[in-house]
Amino acid sequence: MSDVKAVIADDEAPLRQFLRARLAEVWPELIICGEAKNGREALALVEQHRPHIAFLDIKMPGLTGMEVAERIAGACRVVFVTAYDEYAVDAFEKEAVDYLLKPVSKERLEKTVKRLKEDVETGANVPAEILHRLMARLSGDEGSRHLQYLRVQHGDGVRLIHVDDVIYFKAEDKYTTVITREGESLVRKPIKELADELDPEKFWQIHRGAIVNVRSIARVSRSLTGKGVVKLKERSETLPVSNRYMHLFKQM
Amino acid sequence: MKTAMELRLDKKRFLTSLALTVVFNTIIALFLTHLGFGSGLYINFIFSQSIGLCMCAFILAGHYFVKRPSIPGHALLLLVAMPAGAAVGAFVGTQIAGFSFSEILRGRPAFFIQMLFIGILFGTMITYFFFSRERISQTEKQLQEEQIKRLTLEKKTLETHLKLLQAQIEPHFLFNTLSNILSLLESDPTKGKAMIEDLTRYLRASLSRTRDRMTTLGQEMDLVRAYLDIYKVRMGERLRYTLEVPEALRDLSFPPMLVQPLVENALKHGLEPKIEGGNIVVKVEQDTDCCRVSVADTGAGLLENSVAGIGLANVRERLEVIFNGKAHLTLEENQPSGLKVTMEIPCE
Repeated sequence: MSDVKAVIADDEAPLRQFLRARLAEVWPELIICGEAKNGREALALVEQHRPHIAFLDIKMPGLTGMEVAERIAGACRVVFVTAYDEYAVDAFEKEAVDYLLKPVSKERLEKTVKRLKEDVETGANVPAEILHRLMARLSGDEGSRHLQYLRVQHGDGVRLIHVDDVIYFKAEDKYTTVITREGESLVRKPIKELADELDPEKFWQIHRGAIVNVRSIARVSRSLTGKGVVKLKERSETLPVSNRYMHLFKQM
Repeated sequence: MKTAMELRLDKKRFLTSLALTVVFNTIIALFLTHLGFGSGLYINFIFSQSIGLCMCAFILAGHYFVKRPSIPGHALLLLVAMPAGAAVGAFVGTQIAGFSFSEILRGRPAFFIQMLFIGILFGTMITYFFFSRERISQTEKQLQEEQIKRLTLEKKTLETHLKLLQAQIEPHFLFNTLSNILSLLESDPTKGKAMIEDLTRYLRASLSRTRDRMTTLGQEMDLVRAYLDIYKVRMGERLRYTLEVPEALRDLSFPPMLVQPLVENALKHGLEPKIEGGNIVVKVEQDTDCCRVSVADTGAGLLENSVAGIGLANVRERLEVIFNGKAHLTLEENQPSGLKVTMEIPCE
């Protein structure tokens, strides 16, 4: 067997040193051809040195360990390294992917190294489709499909308002006024765009020019002329409901 | 103007009231016939129904036009509606029974006055019955609402307490720190020992303080410093931080674990995702009636669809429960990059 090469990627320096020291104990012949302190460096190292094995920390700036693995899929054997992470560990177990838990124990590393030695000879690898499955599984909590924060102009700066704090939105010419308990601000987005981005479970468009937070509705009534009117919990003004949106309240 | 449900409820109430009135009227007719009053059950029945239903209609109409009257307003309404209803009812009764109203007025005025008197007497009793029924249901509703309110608050307090407990020590943080300590004990024992001391300080502060409802700002800042010191070892040059806390404010009474989550948020979602890292500035200032704590980072900032900041949401909820809406949490973009979170807490 020719010399086996590996790279280590972790954003925390002490942890790179630690893994390197442990590897030197259990696999002295292994050549560590480089250490990376973020995802991009890891990618560059792999491209430069073409190692057999990459030890990748999952949570790294630049690119995550998972993203690096995806880009180098097929080029080298990947071992993920992570601190406590139930979801990741669960996913790794299911997909039979190599992983090490920090702090890395000697026994565990010996087991992994034994398997790596066999696999490097047979050239086995983590297929791209497994990586895709892993990423889909682990990226679930990174972002939401719906708008969470609104950027509003405030004095010279930009404030961020969480959508849960909004009482209602009112359409202006091009922009939208957002009304919260603390006051009014302007969002540089037309109400139509907001209607598409907001969670329809939490926000109801009740009029061409108004979207209301369902939580702030005190009650809905019909005026003498039969028009729907929304009364709000923390505001004195009422909002008209167009007939085409009255169906929203039928379930109430 | 009521919601569909209320309208439905009202309709049901209206129909039961109507049915009850008819039943009462029938009893009155039977009772009067039994006493030998009037000219037989048939006539008595017609009159008691017409008078009773008219009075009922007048009182309901009065309530329709005067919503939620005061107690004297209520009395005045009844004082007008009951005689008027009785008079109109008596007139309707004569028409149905086939009598001439003018003849009765001229020939037997005493009979007319008797009818009015009996009508008002029973009317008062029946109105009192409906009034008490209404009041009982109102009281029950109020009690129910209050109970719901109390339970919701209790649930919220418990939830925030639970979140506080969970927020203290994140397993990921603990294991990462332990790995760092392990590696430092080999490569740099002095630094490793210092990190154990930091971790001990952090654990002691966070574990003991959650049992108290209030601690001091100084203690919270010590916790934050220990937390940042640990991160400093882990992140090295990527983390720079300053804490600006006036010595005079250290004894200020302060709820535990309110600043630490803001710093955690700045590290996790601000600096850690950024290759070059950045700065964190924790600043405490006192205004005339409030204390302002801000945590500013030069990190990645918040994305519009970021669900990041469960820590922020928890802090907001706890502020709401502890200060009953008198505290504020503001998020703004920091210049040139990153996030600045400012917490305003009322202080006496």
